[in-house]
Order: sequence, then structure tokens, then C-alpha cells
Amino acid sequence: MPRAIWSGTISFGLVNVPVKLYSATRSKDVRFNQLHARDGSRIQVRRFCAAEGVEVPAEEIVRGYEVRPGEYVTVTDEELAGLAPELTEGIEIQEFVELREIDPVYFEHSYYLAPDKGGQKAYALLRQAMEESQRVAIGRVVMRGREYLTAIRAAGPALVMSTLYYADEVVPVTELEGLPGETVRATEREVAMAQQLIEALAAPFEPEKYRDEYREAVLQLIEEKAAGKTVVPMAPKRAEAAPPVDLVKALEESIALAKERAKRTA
Amino acid sequence: MRRRSIVVAVDGRELELTNLEKVLYPQAGFTKAEVIDYYRRVADVMLPHLRGRPVTLKRWPDGVEAPSFFEKQCPRHRPPWVPVAPVSSSGKRPVVEYCRIEDLPALIWVANLAALELHVTLGTATAPETPLAAVFDLDRGPPAGLRECAVTALRIRQALEACGLQAFAKASGKSGLHVYVPINAPVTFDQTRALARSIARKLEAETPRAITTVMRKELRTGKVFIDWSQNHARKTTVAVYSLRGTPEPRVSAPLRWEEVEELAQGDPRKWSERLRVERVLERLEREGDLFAPVLELRQELPATEQ
Repeated sequence: MPRAIWSGTISFGLVNVPVKLYSATRSKDVRFNQLHARDGSRIQVRRFCAAEGVEVPAEEIVRGYEVRPGEYVTVTDEELAGLAPELTEGIEIQEFVELREIDPVYFEHSYYLAPDKGGQKAYALLRQAMEESQRVAIGRVVMRGREYLTAIRAAGPALVMSTLYYADEVVPVTELEGLPGETVRATEREVAMAQQLIEALAAPFEPEKYRDEYREAVLQLIEEKAAGKTVVPMAPKRAEAAPPVDLVKALEESIALAKERAKRTA
Repeated sequence: MRRRSIVVAVDGRELELTNLEKVLYPQAGFTKAEVIDYYRRVADVMLPHLRGRPVTLKRWPDGVEAPSFFEKQCPRHRPPWVPVAPVSSSGKRPVVEYCRIEDLPALIWVANLAALELHVTLGTATAPETPLAAVFDLDRGPPAGLRECAVTALRIRQALEACGLQAFAKASGKSGLHVYVPINAPVTFDQTRALARSIARKLEAETPRAITTVMRKELRTGKVFIDWSQNHARKTTVAVYSLRGTPEPRVSAPLRWEEVEELAQGDPRKWSERLRVERVLERLEREGDLFAPVLELRQELPATEQ
């Protein structure tokens, strides 16, 4: 059972449905850590002040918006929180549309909704009514102080909620250049042939048929390397079990060597 | 290729030194072996000033002409015999485990990390809220120079003497001076900060054209900036005898007051030669640790007016 990432209420007319939210997808990208090639230790990300060259602690970092090049307006968490005081956490259904009206380009992330305590009946009702009317609910969701546009639909036994991009976030196709216009037409015969080919390849959508072969190859490589002991050691490598040398002697030798080298290149 | 790493024995500890021939100060052709050798030679006098304190490393892995970074959290790959000082922090990590440099092997180990600069707090790891000294950090806003810093340091000394306090000076090794007031008695940072602030503000009021207590760089032009705010549990100052990440290998070395007086009149360029590694080592051999009283002298702070 995955862990709920949020809980709230769907309000729909006079009906309130308490729900929990779960991620409907999970990324399986192979994640790498960054290591220092020389000794295999972990690379840390540090925040530096560009002017002073010193590391900046978290409490000294503020949000800045670049108004003009090099000119910033700073905004605090409190100011941002103060902008939406009237928003109450929850899902408010505004209207119902047909799923095919929503172009897939609008879909951002998908979540499952499950009934929370006491919500079984209302949840079942909403799901069944939406399934039978073939309609998708469009609503506003306020989660963690932010507002999202969402589409909620019945999918099998569950409700699925997808966050949607706002219209002004979708790049209009008119911004593209080089699309063939009305004047470029294929002949009827060409179209017929292309359609025939499409028919021949027509199939039900079975996503499980496809696998991320690149990911599998990466994991296999990692497995082989781990088994073959070509793994970068976490601890600094001990130099070939040579017996330890006296510190002063090692330094003197090194300094002499460097001096000699400097003389040669001088 | 000559061996890039070598295992050495230091006081019964084994540690691996890497890339000894790497030049860390290109202008001077000063290599990592020379850096380590410097720290080996100053260890006896320097270690007492580091012991018991959380140490912040400032590292230049590719030399002083390449980027550097501060490292507070002691590297995870430290040898098991390098102890750490856990200090609660207001930053992202709730607790930062600082390196503690208690002995020669630990000092050699951090030198090998190209930690050219070692910065320490004024309190210890076990009593972080009790400053062992008060400090005035003097820096110049160009075109004010070292000379002006020296003049200001002398005035601070005079103000401290009026309170019955002895002070000791060291060069920051870069462009400024540090004035230390040994305390070694139970006081709080609030008290040392109040002392430093009242003296700094008094001097600023007397000569507002020469001295400022304002942090903003653009407001420091031509003035000496007295940073009294270093008197804080979390603030660090470069440790005495630490190298600096300057183009030439220079040291944050103690100065006698006569030298500060000389500097207040003389030629700062000639004088800055005295901060070179070889000169500092020569002097140590002749005169010992001029900064030893900072650890030993017990002084009582006067009651300060707020």
C-alpha cells in the first residue's frame, strides 16, 4: 500500500467526499550519486554567495525575482502565504466535461483518489455517476498552499485526478514554424496507402508490452560491475601495501623533486 | 609518472598523502608537500590554538588560483582517529560534526586535503558559549591600507589598556589585522561583543572618516572596518599560524606591538614579506610563540555600559 501524500475533501454541490491522494505513477529512472573520481567520496552541493565566495547557510537565503537585469525584488514565505488566505485546502468541482475534449498535452501528473474515513458511500456514488455519464470533473484543488487545475475521472474502481496545465502554459502550435499548410495536400491514393498501413499496424494499447530497455541495460551494467569488483571504493584506496614511509623523508623527497622539476622547466 | 600517493607514518598513525608535487601556490611554485611541511613545522606552537575547538576547513584542492570552499562538516572519509566536535546548527543539518585537530597526524591529514586555511571559533567544542578571547577583526576598504589598519589597531589597544586589558595582534595574512583580548575566564559572548562593540563605536564616533563599523563593502571605501560581530559562538576567525589562500604563501602570524607601530608609519609592502612562510618559521625558531599568552592570560572584563 503506497502512502497517502495528501488528504482533503471533494466538494460537489452539497456532497462532500473525504479523500486521500496517492501518486499514480512512479519514476524508475536510475539515479546516480555524484562521486569525486579521485577518492570515491560523495559530492555535496553547497550554496555559495557569488560576490563573497563564501558558503551561505540556509537561513540567509531569500527568494529574489529579477525585475531588471541585476535588479531583484525579494519575497518572503509569509508574503506568498498572505496572497491566498481565502483558499481552503480541498478539491472543488466546477463543471463536468467530456474526456476527449481535453487534449493530452494538458495532463501534468496523475494521482489516485481513495475514500477517507466515512467517505465510502459518497465516493462510490460520485464514481458511478461519472462513469455512467461519461463525464470528467474539472475542479480547482488547493494543496499545500498552492492552487491547481485538475481533471477527475472514473477509472475502473477508482477515481483518478490529473493536474492540468493552465491554458497559458501550453505553447500554441501557431508559434511553430514550418508546419505544412492547407496548400500541401497528398493525393487520395497516397492517403489511402498510408491508411492501409495504419490499419495493418492497428492494435489495442497495451502499455505493458513496452519496456524501458535503456534502463534495463544500465541496471545490468551496474550489476555486472558490482559483481566484477570494478566498483569505486567508498573509502580512500590504500596505496599498494607499501610500508609507511617517514613523514619528513617523504616531504623532503617530494620538495626536492619539485625544485628539480622547476629548475628544469625554468 | 612518479607515485601519486604515499603512505607515511606520523606519530604512530599511518596516513596517505596524495599529489605531493601538486603546486598549490602557482606564483611561488609552492607545492602541497611544502604546505604539509609548513604545518609539520608549526604544529608544536599551532596545535594548542586549535585543540578542543571545532575547526572549519577552507580548502583549495586545485591551488589558490582555482575555486575554494569552506568545509564545516568533517569529511566522511576522515581516518577513525580524527575526532569530531558535534555542534548544533541553525542550517540545514541540525548537527554539524566539525573536525577536531588535536595532534600532528590530524593536522597533516587536513593539510593533505589542501585545507590551506583553518578557521576556529572563539569557544571550545565542549563550552561553545564561553569565548576564550575577544577579537577585533580589522579590514580595510581600499584605498585605506594596512597602515590605516595598524593605526586603528593601536587605538584599539589604547582603549583596551584604559580598561586594564592587554591585547595581542596578529596579521590576518591577507589585508587586515586581528586584535585579540585573552580572557580565559567564564564570560559570555554577549559580554565580549558588548566590549568590542562599544570600543569600535567609540573609535568610529571619534574619527568617522577613518573608521567604520558598517558591514556593507561599498560603505567602507577608504575606511578601516572594525568587525566586532565576530564575537559570536558560531563565528570563526582564521587560526593563528594558518596559511592563507593568498597568491603567495602567507601566514596569519602574530606581531609585536612595536611592529604594529612600525607598520603604522612604514612601508606595508616590505612588511608583508614578514608573513611569508620562511620568515614566519625563522622567527618562530628565534622567538617562540608570541601568541601563547592569548591561551594563558586570564583577564577580567570591565563592566560595560550597554
